[in-house]
Amino acid sequence: MDIAYTGEWTWAASLGRLLLALAFAGGIASTIGYTKAVRHNEDHWLKLGRWGFRTQAAGLFAAIALMLFLIFCHRYEFEYIWKHLNDAMSPGLVLASFWGGQEGGFLLWMFWMLVLALVFLRRQPGKLEAPVMAIHAGVLTGLSSMLLGLWFGDFQFGLDPFLLLREAPQNHGLPWTLNPDYLSLIPQFADGQGLNPLLQNYWMVIHPPTLFLGFASTLMPFALAVSGLWTQDHRTWMGKAIPWAFFGVAILGAGILMGGAWAYEALSFGGFWAWDPVENSSLVPWLVLVAGAHLLLINKAKPGTAVTATYLMIALGFLLVVYSTFLTKSGILGDTSVHSFVDSGILPQLLGFLLACCALLCTLILPPGRDRVVFGALQAALAVGIAVANPALCTLGLLLVMALAVLRGHLKNLPRTDTESPIWTREFWMFVGGMLMFASAVHISFQTSLPVFNHFLEPFSGWFDRLYQSTGSNLARKLAAHDLAPGTDFDATYHAIQIPLAFLFVSITAFTQYLRYKSNSGKGLFLKLLRSLLSAGVLTAIVSWTYGFELWEAPRVALLFACLWSAAANADYIIQGLKGKWDHAGSSIAHIGFALVIFGSVLSNAKKDIISQNRFGDLQMLNESLSNDEDLLLLQEDTVALGPYYVCYQERRRDGIHAKFAVDYYETLPASYTKGQVVSNEGFLFQCTENHTASPRFTEDLEDHWTFVPIPNERQKDQSKPWSAGIPGPFAFTLEPRIQLNEQMGNAPEPDTKRFWNRDLYTHIKWGRVSEPEADENGWMDGRKHDLMRRDSLVIGRSMLALDSISAVTLEEKPGYGLLDKDLAVAAHFRLSGGGADTNFTALYIVRDSLVIPDMVTLESRGVKLRIDGFRPAEATFETVVWENLSIRRDFIVMQATVFPQINLLWLGCLIMTGGALMAVRQRRKSQRPRPAQNKAA
Amino acid sequence: MSRFNIVVILLVAVLLGALFSVFTQNSESVVFARAFAEPGIEFKVSGTLDREHPVQYDPEEAVAETRFHMTDKDGQTREVLLKESKPTGLEQSESIDLYGKVEEGRFIATDMLMKCPSKYNEDSHSLAEAAPAAN
Repeated sequence: MDIAYTGEWTWAASLGRLLLALAFAGGIASTIGYTKAVRHNEDHWLKLGRWGFRTQAAGLFAAIALMLFLIFCHRYEFEYIWKHLNDAMSPGLVLASFWGGQEGGFLLWMFWMLVLALVFLRRQPGKLEAPVMAIHAGVLTGLSSMLLGLWFGDFQFGLDPFLLLREAPQNHGLPWTLNPDYLSLIPQFADGQGLNPLLQNYWMVIHPPTLFLGFASTLMPFALAVSGLWTQDHRTWMGKAIPWAFFGVAILGAGILMGGAWAYEALSFGGFWAWDPVENSSLVPWLVLVAGAHLLLINKAKPGTAVTATYLMIALGFLLVVYSTFLTKSGILGDTSVHSFVDSGILPQLLGFLLACCALLCTLILPPGRDRVVFGALQAALAVGIAVANPALCTLGLLLVMALAVLRGHLKNLPRTDTESPIWTREFWMFVGGMLMFASAVHISFQTSLPVFNHFLEPFSGWFDRLYQSTGSNLARKLAAHDLAPGTDFDATYHAIQIPLAFLFVSITAFTQYLRYKSNSGKGLFLKLLRSLLSAGVLTAIVSWTYGFELWEAPRVALLFACLWSAAANADYIIQGLKGKWDHAGSSIAHIGFALVIFGSVLSNAKKDIISQNRFGDLQMLNESLSNDEDLLLLQEDTVALGPYYVCYQERRRDGIHAKFAVDYYETLPASYTKGQVVSNEGFLFQCTENHTASPRFTEDLEDHWTFVPIPNERQKDQSKPWSAGIPGPFAFTLEPRIQLNEQMGNAPEPDTKRFWNRDLYTHIKWGRVSEPEADENGWMDGRKHDLMRRDSLVIGRSMLALDSISAVTLEEKPGYGLLDKDLAVAAHFRLSGGGADTNFTALYIVRDSLVIPDMVTLESRGVKLRIDGFRPAEATFETVVWENLSIRRDFIVMQATVFPQINLLWLGCLIMTGGALMAVRQRRKSQRPRPAQNKAA
Repeated sequence: MSRFNIVVILLVAVLLGALFSVFTQNSESVVFARAFAEPGIEFKVSGTLDREHPVQYDPEEAVAETRFHMTDKDGQTREVLLKESKPTGLEQSESIDLYGKVEEGRFIATDMLMKCPSKYNEDSHSLAEAAPAAN
């Protein structure tokens, strides 16, 4: 029974699905055609491949165009659009809603893959066309199968981007889905839910396309590598792959750092990098791709060097992208990440796709003939085992078989050169550097994947438990618990390994360019490097002195030195080695950029200074538990010291979906003290002996200008102010950290940053009120309980309430208080100072016949009410409830402020690195066209 | 044996050592019962926020103290003192990992990881509730 739904573009849903199905079918035809064309050099197979690819491309492009059209028409009957778009979003964000979800992410990814394939075909690939395009079309077919949205019983095969709301699984069988007018009847469908406000940021418009282009650019080197194995031509593809690989390095690197910039600018992670699985899983493929790209360079100069490693690195670049897609979409990471990931229902499909890509590589790496058949069959059998029998064991078996296949391929199939490279050659150090980067990637990937390993450990849990019982080994116990997770201490978890590795590979980028391929060219190397070594040494000394590095930070300082050396040596190489030939300087420039990125991130992270730490006790009124904390409580219109500034929280205001908290910053001027003034410092009182201007530290002034007051009198105690080196000076700037009011996800803080050339001041709200507090009709807010002892005090509005003394109410006093003789009563004598004249009052704790008689004291004009609910004689402590009136209330925020030194070098380095890598790509392409020319700037 | 192979073998050895140290470093994941049985030792306890009790955060009293109740994997609920200002989204959290130790009879956490509803969309918004309103 067909229902004609009113106002619904049913045709668009059908068209979209048709286009995707067409693309899928075209992909299959293309894969078959191109695959046959590899073996049989017949025109009709090639034709089938090409036409299949054209169909696939046309189908996908048209589907993408249709999706964009529907998005710009705000067709909310589509579930995807309804979820990710609403009327309030600006045009840029409307575009961004296209990749707001997984389906759009896949479409974007495939879009870039198609574009790159078209570029590849335009370059007349010749004999490479058939095998490369066969792989390419196969991968694209696999990916586009994730968008088919077919259901086999309960098994979902692909997500459907053109799913209509009424067809969504969670709405199945609901009565309104049968109503032809449902769109006009249900008000929720008039507007969409919109992109999560956290993502509504201009970075959402530029970051995902860049990152996905980076992801897509790993496919072409992979396809080239697999085609090399397939055709047993281990040389041609490598030359072709170099520009593609470096293009990927440039774009993926930029994409990753854009993500960091986004996190830094708009999300309150407290920095630009948090070693989060999402970040890690895009960094790992990049590291591997960089290693692979450099191995390609080695092979171009000296064919047959480390061929297996080259194949593995290039292939892993792509496979790790797929793996990270799998990781971040699987929900497996849930327990270890700040983000949670929801299983989207296509997990088995993604896993199958990943394993199929791996299996293809591992089969083709073997010598043609029986080996491939045997290993291929073994892998297929284990894959079936994963699906129907024991997934964990079979996956382990499959990985083992794959490793064996690679080993056998390495020994029996892949070529190697007979000539050993001397130590001081470019290729040797490039290889070492590449392997170190790979090691770094393995370590990060290992930490990120710990939750995955838990699944593999589970079947062995009993076995490990017995091992623990018999040996008492802690390791065995942990493995038995199969609950591994990366540690939360980044220094132990990541930095301890990553910093030494980075030190090594960054140092290698400093000198390797000075070496030549194949010939031992170490002679005179030291002299050539002398200039850069010296300047880096001097700079490192300056940096470590300026930022106060200590001995235990030696590894970091060493890494900073390596970065400076690399930047200096590569700059020097452009002058010395290339004589300023900029065409060939791309790689040197990229290395400089890379060194700056590492330098900026290490320095800004190691020497970040949380200046909101209340170190000096300037805020005498505040509780002592504040003293070693990273957050600062700011009362409205109170001016307090914050690092090199004085700050004052001015006001809260609503601005769209944000509550903004305006905080003014003032310069600090040195304080001056006059003779006779009394100050407190660390609990002691001092009197000024002569007029002077304060030094930064009290101890510097103590001897000459102050005398200790051993027994202060009351007046001195009252008048003393805490010593401070500075006083608020002229107004400097205002920052407005904000809280995004987000009903969907809960309110989220967003930082505000003041940028200087050599540092950033980064502030965010840790706690702040976004609306007025609740109060009764007379303006009294909820009472707050305080345990008060003698001499305790607390801040209420602009006043300070102090418990001056405690006394038992004597028999003579009782009538004065209106008490009976049998009553037991304790009196608490309070003083309310500030915000008006000092007021003394007494509150009583009265017990009559073992009943507590409440005694409410109200100071209406001062906006304070107080009652004692209990008294603990042993501690002489009153359990007090204090009410505050809205009229005297002062708003406050809890804020964190951090100074990140030299963080701008990180962003500058990113630009330089991307630019340099793209220059190198261009130069490579130029040198490829006429003839294999000499290229010094490898 | 070529120099390249030596490099690879050396690196594999170093990496294996580094990776093995991973297992020894992490604080052990336990339930409250164990943490309370061995006070003073740092553990990781996972669980969920107990919404029966309110999350107490009073910045005027103490900026860096948040108190809440957590139910561990064995279903035992305990009050926890977190030595941080109240993390954003604590109330929305789906699960919590606490790192800390038992001191003076209560669990004091110095670090905390939360799993929150995804920032990356994909929660299935059911319209089951929306529908009756329309009919």
